[in-house]
Amino acid sequence: MQRRSFLLTPLLLPALATARDAPRHAVASRATRLSFPRDHGAHPEFRTEWWYVTGALDVPGGGMGFQLTFFRSRPGIAEELDSPIAASQILFAHAALTRPGQRLLHAERAARANLGAGFSTTDCDVHVGAWSMRRGGAGADEQFRLVAHDAAFAFDLRLTPTQPLLLQGEHGWSQKGPRPELASHYVSWPQLRVGGRLVVEGKTQEATGRAWFDHEWSSEVLAAGAVGWDWIGINLDDGGALMAFRIRDAGGNTLYAHASLRDADGRLTRFGAGEVAFTPIRRWTSPRNGAQYPVQMEIRVGPQRIETTPVADDQEISARRPLPVSYWEGLVAIRGTLAGRGYLELTGYAGALRL
Amino acid sequence: MSSLTWRLSWWLIRAQFMTRRTATALSMLAIALGVSLGYAIHLINDAALADFSQAMKSVQGEPDAVLAPRDSSGHVPLALVDALARDEAVALAVPVIETRVRLDNTATTVRLIGLDAFSAALLMPNLMPRQGGADGGTTSIFEDGVYASPALLARLNTKVGAPQGLPSVAGITATRGEARWTTPIRGDLPAVRDDELLLVADIAWVQAHFGPREGVGEVRLRLAPGVSPAAWIATWSARLPPGLGLRAADDNLARMSNVSRAYRVNLNVLAMVALLTGAFLVFATQLTAVAQRSTQFALLGVLGLPPRMRLAQVLVEGLAIGIPGAAAGLGLGYGLAVLFTRLLGGDLGGGFFAASSPVVVPELAPAAVFFVAGCGASLMGALYPAWLNRIQPLAPALKAGFAQQAPSTLSASRHAKRIALALVALAAVALTRLPAIDDLPLAGYTAIALVLVLGIAAAPAATRLVFGGLERLRLSAPLRIAVQNILQAPLMAQVAASGLIVSFALTVSMVTMVSSFRTALDQWLDDVLPAPMYMRSKGVPLPADMLAELERPQSPFVRVERMATVMLTLDPRRPPVALLVRELDRADPAARLPFTGAVLAAPPGRITAWISEPLQELHGLVPGQTLHLPLLGREVEVFVGGVWRDYARQFGAVVIAAADYRALGGSVAATDLALWPRPGQEDAAGRWMRAQAKHHGIEGVGSGEIRELSLSIFDKSFAVTYALEAAAMLIGLFGLAVTLAASVWLRARELATLSALGFDRAMLGRAIVFEGALIAVIGLALGLACGVAVGAILTHVVNPQAFHWRMPLQVPWAQVLLGAALTLFAGMGASRFAARQATRLPAAQVLASAQ
Amino acid sequence: MLSIAGLSKRHPHAPRPVFSGLGLSVATGEIVALTGESGVGKSTLLNCIAGLEPADAGTIMVGREATDILRLDEAERAALRARSIGFVFQAFHVLPTLSVAQNIAVPLLLSGVAAHDHAARIEALLARVGLAGFGPRWPASLSGGELQRVAIARALVHGPTLILADEPTGNLDPRTADEVLALLLERVREEGASALIVTHSQHVAQCCDRILTLTPDGLE
Repeated sequence: MQRRSFLLTPLLLPALATARDAPRHAVASRATRLSFPRDHGAHPEFRTEWWYVTGALDVPGGGMGFQLTFFRSRPGIAEELDSPIAASQILFAHAALTRPGQRLLHAERAARANLGAGFSTTDCDVHVGAWSMRRGGAGADEQFRLVAHDAAFAFDLRLTPTQPLLLQGEHGWSQKGPRPELASHYVSWPQLRVGGRLVVEGKTQEATGRAWFDHEWSSEVLAAGAVGWDWIGINLDDGGALMAFRIRDAGGNTLYAHASLRDADGRLTRFGAGEVAFTPIRRWTSPRNGAQYPVQMEIRVGPQRIETTPVADDQEISARRPLPVSYWEGLVAIRGTLAGRGYLELTGYAGALRL
Repeated sequence: MSSLTWRLSWWLIRAQFMTRRTATALSMLAIALGVSLGYAIHLINDAALADFSQAMKSVQGEPDAVLAPRDSSGHVPLALVDALARDEAVALAVPVIETRVRLDNTATTVRLIGLDAFSAALLMPNLMPRQGGADGGTTSIFEDGVYASPALLARLNTKVGAPQGLPSVAGITATRGEARWTTPIRGDLPAVRDDELLLVADIAWVQAHFGPREGVGEVRLRLAPGVSPAAWIATWSARLPPGLGLRAADDNLARMSNVSRAYRVNLNVLAMVALLTGAFLVFATQLTAVAQRSTQFALLGVLGLPPRMRLAQVLVEGLAIGIPGAAAGLGLGYGLAVLFTRLLGGDLGGGFFAASSPVVVPELAPAAVFFVAGCGASLMGALYPAWLNRIQPLAPALKAGFAQQAPSTLSASRHAKRIALALVALAAVALTRLPAIDDLPLAGYTAIALVLVLGIAAAPAATRLVFGGLERLRLSAPLRIAVQNILQAPLMAQVAASGLIVSFALTVSMVTMVSSFRTALDQWLDDVLPAPMYMRSKGVPLPADMLAELERPQSPFVRVERMATVMLTLDPRRPPVALLVRELDRADPAARLPFTGAVLAAPPGRITAWISEPLQELHGLVPGQTLHLPLLGREVEVFVGGVWRDYARQFGAVVIAAADYRALGGSVAATDLALWPRPGQEDAAGRWMRAQAKHHGIEGVGSGEIRELSLSIFDKSFAVTYALEAAAMLIGLFGLAVTLAASVWLRARELATLSALGFDRAMLGRAIVFEGALIAVIGLALGLACGVAVGAILTHVVNPQAFHWRMPLQVPWAQVLLGAALTLFAGMGASRFAARQATRLPAAQVLASAQ
Repeated sequence: MLSIAGLSKRHPHAPRPVFSGLGLSVATGEIVALTGESGVGKSTLLNCIAGLEPADAGTIMVGREATDILRLDEAERAALRARSIGFVFQAFHVLPTLSVAQNIAVPLLLSGVAAHDHAARIEALLARVGLAGFGPRWPASLSGGELQRVAIARALVHGPTLILADEPTGNLDPRTADEVLALLLERVREEGASALIVTHSQHVAQCCDRILTLTPDGLE
């Protein structure tokens, strides 16, 4: 194990961490108008893209959190190579399961496109090995299917929309920093109804719940001096949805922030950097790397004030791919002026994050 | 047995060993020899296989299954790689492209392995590269560059004079046919074995330069926990196109062990023969021991020794020979194994494994098996003597000593004996007609055993036949006495002769088989090497510019024939079969191939293939039948036009005409050339060939050199059998000496009487030497007869079944007769030794002790 | 003691039986001499008594429990010999590869006498047959008389109830023969065993308690 990571890490690092030749990566443009289902599909001309599903499951014995994420990376190498399997597009997938009070279960996969992995540019259809995320159907039959399995857990879930798509920022153009190039295209789909099968430690059970879908693509998002971000997406109990994030510097100061709230009636309110505040209440220290994550936070968004309570403290993910990186991402209960269940993501606490 | 009877038993064993030191030591030595040979062969092969499989695992990983084209020129399409990766039952799918390339700076070709670091890191961690220092490690494995194994780096560095240690940005140019790739060396492969010459690069870069365009070479698969590999393979196999095959992990092992199996089994059988000869020597020793001590055992019986103790005592004595013998054999075997692997490598010169010196690791279980086999052989040898001892009537034995004939109720009539012998002979003939069982010529081996039994059983009859007439002739007194002794003591004579029968038969048969094979090989080399010169590049197409030079009118060659080789997997559990694509005249294939029988013309529109003899044996094909070949990604039906002799490719070969292969859509990338220089330009041709060979790092030799090399490899690979033959002959001679000495001892009273009657010591000695010589003549004559029969079985039954090749029988009479004469002299020497022992005693003492 | 009744035996193919309806009894402590012409069947009778040859009819009771040796199987006969019978042969019949003490120990081993007794018992017995200190010596270095003394010691060492002797002095010179015979009789009497001594010698016969002569018509 030791040797494998020692061998693999230095091989991937240069490819993924340094933008040496800066190939012709596309830049997120304010003028772009998204159309669907085309823009559910991949945008291989951008450097980075992800399809991110987080959610809460209601199973006997308490609520569980799950997430399945597919990352697409265009490291800018082997682009001129005349081979269908050149490593110019690489896909990574993470799956995690949170059980209340227990250590989070986590698994990951990686492969290059056309050699064990693939994506569609016309709709959401991405896979790494046997793990997949796929959209299909129209109208009432529209559905996402999520499949992932590992030794410790597996799931096969169907996600059905109950509300329309939510385009973040301006028509899905989401600014991430003070400069306009620091932006992504960002589409969310909150309040997805979940049904399907869940296998944990050999036991199969039916699962229902609520999920949140994010699809985001960009070539450059982090401003100079930024080390990470705090992000939260909440499916509110009343049917509303709240998304908030901030970009931090090494001192914990906010470099940029943004939030959006869609209430149960579908009214959307956006909040600028000055109207969003994240305040740590309690930190949890990772026994593995000593990182201190503010797992309990007070978040103010305009007039709203909410507080997060993690269902389990240890929801730290230590991923090897695309880079060896640790971050905290988990299910939290929300109380305050709004109530619901959300996913909190805390990055850059165990060393600066690089995309 | 109580502790008291154990004590008595121990006294008797000790007394026995003290009084018959030489015979006991020889018996132990014989057992030790048999055990050591078998054990050494086992250890060596085990070490070689372990070494081989470790080398393979290090490069291949340990997949549960491998999807590969059945035709080595084929590929696995990318869509199928994706489909496999998407299968939930697949935990890991590792695509690999492996090819051989020639490097500009080296004389040899090297393996180039293209891999996908994402998947390969988990299955083949030993192949993971390490970044070199020169460019600061900022380049990833996915980019242009290669990583070299330590052995290759060492070779490159000494060649180009670069500093040792991690490579600089030095580049290499890899060539295969017309494809070239110039690329930097970015680092090394720290976990690759020291003896591997290989390069690793990203799979896409290998594909872009050397293909296959739309796929990968093979996919190695790890299955998810709980998935049954057999069921999964069966399901997928049904869905695969005909050009692809899935093989399970154990197919790899089976294939590997199949490579050396026949050779190993044959050596093991020889070791078993050595062990049996050891058992025979225990038999001779114990039989004479029983005969000598019959009075003592009778006395013990009268004093109240329980009857079963008379049986048990002889068996325990046998074990007492077997246990130290087998233990010494294990030690000796280990020593031999270490010595042989150092001297000859892991395949004992058989040429099956790469030249490496594997480490011999003794393990408990096999050592125990060989130990038990040694003890068992010794026990078996003691069985009949023990039984004879048990049935000796006490009162007569006490008075008169050992009874040579078993009690009359137990001996069958002469008539019944003859019928039994005829039945054994019939059974032996019938067994030679049976096919191999699980690829092993077990029936043939049984037939050999029966022939030996027959030879031994025929000894008394042969004795009567040969010497019955002598009795009536006027003979000198010592000779007459010798003849009478033999005729009157048939059991002892039989015992003394049988050792020689077995050992000489074994020797004659081995010599016959080896000589038949060598003669046939010699003839075959003539047939398959019609051209004066040959060029060959192992596994890599010959350089395009060199081939182009041959096409020019000023080339010093009048004729050039090209050949390409493709490996075809007909059965995943067997090594692949070679498809030889040759430029030959379809109307007259016999001009190039040494056919063993009729050559049939294919019906119009059919493609003809000429199969090698091993392939015919393996698949039971005859000319005129249809053979299905996995060619160029599909199943191609070819007409079997004839069978040709092939001693080079044990696992089978098929020849088809280059024109036919092109018609099927294949492209001929020549790897071998046969060259005919223009008359008068032989020197220029030779110079051209040597220059090209040196420049491109390929082989270029004259047919004479190939021939010499082939024969020297042949001789080396049979070196071990000569050692076995020598051991067998020594054991046979020991047997003769021991038995003769014992029989002289038994007849001490008679000899003393002769002595008292005025026979002087010299005459007595001569009589005993005569007797030994006569017994040796009988033993050698029967041994020769059995040996030729066994040689014929080895040549015509065992060889075709185990190695799948046939050859005409050639008995090297001069060698055999010389061996017989030498053995006869040695036998007489052994008799002299026995005679000296007998005549050294003064007559009076002998007379007294005989009472 | 020994008690024979109605013993009949005929060799296969022989014109007449060796004995028919033969009866003989030797009381405890009694020493009986058996004489007769050569070939009359003395050795055959001894072999039958020792269970080495079968008989056609009759009973041969041997040992303290008066077991009929003719009704026993081979292993039981061997066990009975080991326990109850001592043998002295004309030819000295010692095992040449065992020492004197080991030769004498053989009946002890076969009859199962506890091992810790052996050395002392053998040493005492050797002293009483006039061979004190001979224990470690090898038979090859002994004279005929000495060998026969070893044989006598061996015959008596395990306390048998019956001694069978076949021409025990036949191979010895007259002076040694007398000594050995005297020793044999003395030791048998001392042990309180019965004995049946086959002999041609009138002198030997006269030293016994009773003389029986075997003729083709039976015992006299």
